[in-house]
Amino acid sequence: MIGLGHYLALSGVLFTIGAIGFTTRRNVLVALMSIEIMLNAVNLAFVAANRFRPENHAGQTIAFFTIAIAAAEAAVGLAIVVSLFRVKKTVRSDEADAMRG
Amino acid sequence: MVWAFWGASALAVAGALATILARGPIRSALALLVTILGLAALFVLLDAHLLAAIQVIVYAGAVVVLFVFVIMVLGPAAEPSGPGGRALVARGLSVIALGWIGWRIVRALWAAERAADVPDGFGTTVAVADSIFGPFLVPFELVSILLLVAVVGAIALARAKHAAGGPS
Repeated sequence: MIGLGHYLALSGVLFTIGAIGFTTRRNVLVALMSIEIMLNAVNLAFVAANRFRPENHAGQTIAFFTIAIAAAEAAVGLAIVVSLFRVKKTVRSDEADAMRG
Repeated sequence: MVWAFWGASALAVAGALATILARGPIRSALALLVTILGLAALFVLLDAHLLAAIQVIVYAGAVVVLFVFVIMVLGPAAEPSGPGGRALVARGLSVIALGWIGWRIVRALWAAERAADVPDGFGTTVAVADSIFGPFLVPFELVSILLLVAVVGAIALARAKHAAGGPS
């Protein structure tokens, strides 16, 4: 029988994969996709918690807000990538060092 | 039901691993699509049918397409080739540290259990809309303002500078 713990553990696994991808990949595009994986993992936790406490729909509503915010984040993040590419001609995050002291 | 859960979660985890391990960003984007579809299947299993539809429409239909679009605009430069082993120690340490933290979280969450009786009308469009336009009305309006600000900001960031000599 699949319980709440299975879903939350899967959410933790996905969040960990996203966090590792965000810290290890240099490509800004892949880092943004890792953020999307982490946001999706959090969404899964919200929806699963809502399913096993179904008196109201707060979890699903917050997951809905998270999807909207993830879309906004992707739009702004990709605009920053395009802007970085225009200045530096690269999408490697370690070459964006204009603020290095 | 049990097999659907394991199949969908295997799809999601495999897609996530492929996203962070793939060589080129276009492959990462397609692997991200697999993750998103696996999670949409899990939302269906969790009786969140409206959210499953939104997941497919917004993520698969908008966000991934936006990623692919930007990758296509950047062209071959989106796939940088160069020395990758310079910070191998730092990357290994971050994998070990985050993997350990994640393992502890997963082990703690695995034990969570609750009874699961779903009332009639759970997860339908009517029920979720009652929640969004009822107790969550103010956050909903704030999200609409946030989206407007994000669109304006994205255009302002990505627009080509026509005036020469401005700060880059």
